[in-house]
Amino acid sequence: MDYNLARVLKPRRRPIIQSGFRSTNAAYPLLHIDTLNNALSSSTRKDDVDPVLYVPGYSSDGKQSACCHVKCGDVRILAPIRGDVDPLFAFAFIQTFIDILQDYFGTLSAATLRDHFDVVYQAKTLDSIGYPNTTSPNQLRDIVLPPSLLQKILTVTGVAGLANTNTGHGNITPFSSPIPWRKAGLRYSSNEIYFDVTEQLKAIVGPTGTLSCEVFGKIDSNPKLSGTPDLQLTFTNPDSLGDTSFHPCVRLQRWKRDKVLSFVPPDGRFTLMEYRYLPPTSKSLSAPSAQVPVPFTLKPVVTIEEDGGCFDVALTSRLSTRLFNKVVVEFYLGDGSSGVNCTASHGTSWSFDSQTSKVRWDLKNVPPSGTHSLRGSWVSSQKYPRPARAFRVKYDIAKYSYSSIKIDQLRMTGETYKPFKGFRANSKGDVDWRW
Amino acid sequence: MATLSINAIAENASRLGARLQESLSEHTRDLNLPRGASSEFFETTEERLKNIHHQLDSNSDREKLDAMKRLIAMISKGRNVSEFFAQVVKNVASNNLEIRKLVYIYLLRYAEQEPDLALLSINTFQKDLTDPNPLIRAMALRVLSGVKVPMIGSIVVLAIRKCSVDPSPYVRKAAALAVPKCSSLDPSHQPELISIVTKLLRDRSPLSIGSVAVAFDAICPTRLDLLHSHYRRMCRLLVDLDEWGQLMWLNLLLRYARTMLPKPSADGVGNVSSSDGDLELLVSSSESLLHSRNPAVSLAVARAIFYLSSNSRIVCAIPALVRLLDTSSEVERTVLPYLFSISCKFPTALSPHYHKFFIRSHDLRVIKLGKLRILRSILNADNHQALLKEFIHYAGDPDDTLVESSIRAIGYCARVVPECTQQALNAMMTFIQSKHDVIVTNTVLVLKSLVQRHLMNPDEQENSIPITVVSRLAYLIGDIKHPESRSCAIWLVGQYACFETIETGALHGIARWAPDVLRRTCKTFAHEDPGVKLQIINLAAKLLALNPTNTTLQLLGRYALTLGRYDQDYDVRDRTRLIVSLLVGVVPSVFGDEESDKGEDGGVILRREQVKMVLFEHKTAVESSMSEGTGGFSLATSSLVIGRVMALVQDLPEWLEQGTESSLRDTEDDVQPPVLVQATTPRSIASTSHGPTPIILTPTGGHSPAAAGSSPAPWTDLDKFYADVGEASESEDGGGDGTDDSDDDGEASSVSGGDIEGVSGDEETVAESEESIKGTSRDNSYSLV
Repeated sequence: MDYNLARVLKPRRRPIIQSGFRSTNAAYPLLHIDTLNNALSSSTRKDDVDPVLYVPGYSSDGKQSACCHVKCGDVRILAPIRGDVDPLFAFAFIQTFIDILQDYFGTLSAATLRDHFDVVYQAKTLDSIGYPNTTSPNQLRDIVLPPSLLQKILTVTGVAGLANTNTGHGNITPFSSPIPWRKAGLRYSSNEIYFDVTEQLKAIVGPTGTLSCEVFGKIDSNPKLSGTPDLQLTFTNPDSLGDTSFHPCVRLQRWKRDKVLSFVPPDGRFTLMEYRYLPPTSKSLSAPSAQVPVPFTLKPVVTIEEDGGCFDVALTSRLSTRLFNKVVVEFYLGDGSSGVNCTASHGTSWSFDSQTSKVRWDLKNVPPSGTHSLRGSWVSSQKYPRPARAFRVKYDIAKYSYSSIKIDQLRMTGETYKPFKGFRANSKGDVDWRW
Repeated sequence: MATLSINAIAENASRLGARLQESLSEHTRDLNLPRGASSEFFETTEERLKNIHHQLDSNSDREKLDAMKRLIAMISKGRNVSEFFAQVVKNVASNNLEIRKLVYIYLLRYAEQEPDLALLSINTFQKDLTDPNPLIRAMALRVLSGVKVPMIGSIVVLAIRKCSVDPSPYVRKAAALAVPKCSSLDPSHQPELISIVTKLLRDRSPLSIGSVAVAFDAICPTRLDLLHSHYRRMCRLLVDLDEWGQLMWLNLLLRYARTMLPKPSADGVGNVSSSDGDLELLVSSSESLLHSRNPAVSLAVARAIFYLSSNSRIVCAIPALVRLLDTSSEVERTVLPYLFSISCKFPTALSPHYHKFFIRSHDLRVIKLGKLRILRSILNADNHQALLKEFIHYAGDPDDTLVESSIRAIGYCARVVPECTQQALNAMMTFIQSKHDVIVTNTVLVLKSLVQRHLMNPDEQENSIPITVVSRLAYLIGDIKHPESRSCAIWLVGQYACFETIETGALHGIARWAPDVLRRTCKTFAHEDPGVKLQIINLAAKLLALNPTNTTLQLLGRYALTLGRYDQDYDVRDRTRLIVSLLVGVVPSVFGDEESDKGEDGGVILRREQVKMVLFEHKTAVESSMSEGTGGFSLATSSLVIGRVMALVQDLPEWLEQGTESSLRDTEDDVQPPVLVQATTPRSIASTSHGPTPIILTPTGGHSPAAAGSSPAPWTDLDKFYADVGEASESEDGGGDGTDDSDDDGEASSVSGGDIEGVSGDEETVAESEESIKGTSRDNSYSLV
């Protein structure tokens, strides 16, 4: 097998969990860990490491190996690949793995992994020879029991040992449901389905205007519905959704024909679809003119002097009614920067991370058409410092969507009950503002 | 009797009560902990290690489970716990599934080291293979094939064979995944395994067929002929597979198509004029997978389209690939080289999306470079304004590598799009005054190649531009610090000193600024880098050759040559000696010491024109090959991403000129089953769905099977022959089921999730079972049973 996926989870450069390898020697995982550690320690900017690292020196049959790694929380997940395997395969797998772990444990961190290492080991059945085995959460739940409070209490009381495992597992048959992503025979006392729309604006703004600006949306859902409901979801403005990708449950033909999302939802949290918002005036891809306006303005002034420099930023909200949340402005000052001294306007705070040489300005909340400013100077060990050419601004806006996407109606067939439906939209932004 | 049983119950009850109490007291502290209790397993001391022996031997399941968890924790810490092997093996038949799972994990890890003891457990696994629970059957097979003991090879083959016809798709999936393990265990079982894979290929359940591709790739990757009869079915089934199965099958079908299907003949424009029906089927049925949420699947589809079809088709796949750029930085980093590879072949495909590749200040370095590479490759007359502005912006980036690449990209702009040459030059002129060495150096290097290129092509009218560039460089020579760029600038001054046509200064034939550069550099000669010194000597020689009569210049040249003659660096001394003897015919008294020249007489003395020829001519601009290619790596390989050869064998086969008979791919499925002739509803589905409808059990109009049905195609084997004859006769009387025996097991197993009654031969039930197969698909005809 060419794709020898294995994973090593490690915070602070020590492996927590390694999966056993087939047909490789014991040094193989260590080699990859070393390569990653070397790359991490030799990178000039913190965490600026190539996600695909070539691992030298291991070729028994002319196949070179490489190490794909993803940082997630305080752990890094590694997947070595050997030979001419698409690294995307590894990344797709790692992502699925992270999703599953988050589904099981809530959050993914070194602590939770240590707590539930046996579950992780069982979940490892998802790669036996480097080929992902069962990755659909619903199927996996049949095979590997998620740790739950109830189960814990049962184990603790001791009855569980008999009750849970013997009877519980006895009637579990994998793949028993005709629909791979949905368990058979689900029952809920209150049937409900919620849709969460998260839209993220990604933009680059230059001194002369917006260079590129796009909005990507994601619809998450968390249905708790009994039986096998067949849902039909229509949007008020389906034409403004482009570059879509769907959960496997969505019938593509229906979407292509009628722009209707028709699906039998999986049980539990899942991402229904992802899309790119096409502003109504410009349907073509090539016209960057008609864009979503960036909802704030930044007035940056950066002056570079010998052995240092100073900057002056003012952020003004262009929203008329809504509040900006969690606004963060980051600015990289260049290597060897120190002695940062800033004055931030009332209600905001700033900090400087000497490891990454970044100034971080936390604004928390910005009221409609409110203005905040940050003024500061820094000293650099370089004679002519070279700071980044852009400020990075990240923010959240609650209960707002750029595309004003709305669910027109949600119809359900196949079951008789009336589900409770909910819809919520949130927006985020990540803007590179050049000076 | 009754009293006895009551006694037993009472005893059990009291035991349970005691047990409850005991464990409650023992474990209440766990409940108090906010998090779970497993973390304690990681802090295993030596004493507890000894305790594990006792725990494993104890009767309590809980104790055993605790011990096993401890062992697994130690395995994951990288500690060798093989000493417990014998005791662990004893627990392999434990009734507790939880314990058994952990024992399996342990066994897989250490069986190789203790083959004899591991054999003890084989019996249990064999027994488990008949367990009513498919989960246990699959797990047993997984462990059995995972135990690396070559002795049991034949047992494993038997087990796989047994499981490959299991009614549960989960077990069949495990069987397929066990095949590669078995072959690596003992390669001598290859023929048997191939026959198993052949059988598995007939599997109709989308749940299990995905992993059959894995088995196929491992056992017989070259036996593509086995896929003939499955090709069309798999194309249609693609949509229903799980994402990993889609990946495997896409690559497998791509290989099949490249080997077995006729190459699409392209006309001059690049549009495929004649495309095979089967090829079209694969491309169109995979196209809908572009919407997959798994980036690897989207890419695999794009890859299939890229290697199978025409220019226009790949354009449809581009938005899906570009969409991937925004998923995560890791995916972005991987997709960029692929997009670059595509844009090298079809530069126009990506140009509408150019603003997607604008660099953000916090991108990873590899991503920045990857984006820049793509931006450069899609540069054209339409977008050069925006791109040039971007490149100029990137030149101020804190990252040196990006600065270098972007300045080169500016030079590339100036070269490729003549309209923006002036703008690019202006930008570079301001760069020269930059305070950062890296900017200045790279600018001068790029300017040099630019000037050279321009002056080498005399047909270009705006020759004055490069000369102004050189003159600017000459004025700024004091600011250019970096040795490489300095020597480069000096060389430019010397080379193009004669190009200034306006006679302004006192010196005939030399540009005004050139002698001044010599004067200024001579002053700092002692402190210069050897490379710069060489160029100063050159400059002196060139100026002397251009104007041998001016006394000031002679003095200056003599000064420079004298400095060079006694320099510490022998390269400089050698060069000076060469230049001096070269100039003998032009300026006889370079050093004024005639006697030495007379003494070494005897060589050829060149005339001034000849010297000029030697010094100035044939300095062709070296095309700095800035467009590093894709190295010939194919799409979706790590070689392309990393940029070096990762495997010696290339995955992608070359097209076969002819392709194989299309009738080879005809199957019973393709020929219209007679049952459906009467059933009207499925017919209508079949006739309306022409496009990439995923699941169609009846043929879509235009494909070859219909033709094959009417005119008897050459039969490949006896089975085919009989099948065809059978079909022909049955379609006349219009009754009975047309499927032959070999298909029945596959048919039955696929429906096992729902109802198993497809063999009864009744028209209604056959139609129904097809409905239920469709039920698992994403097709619009989804209906709930």
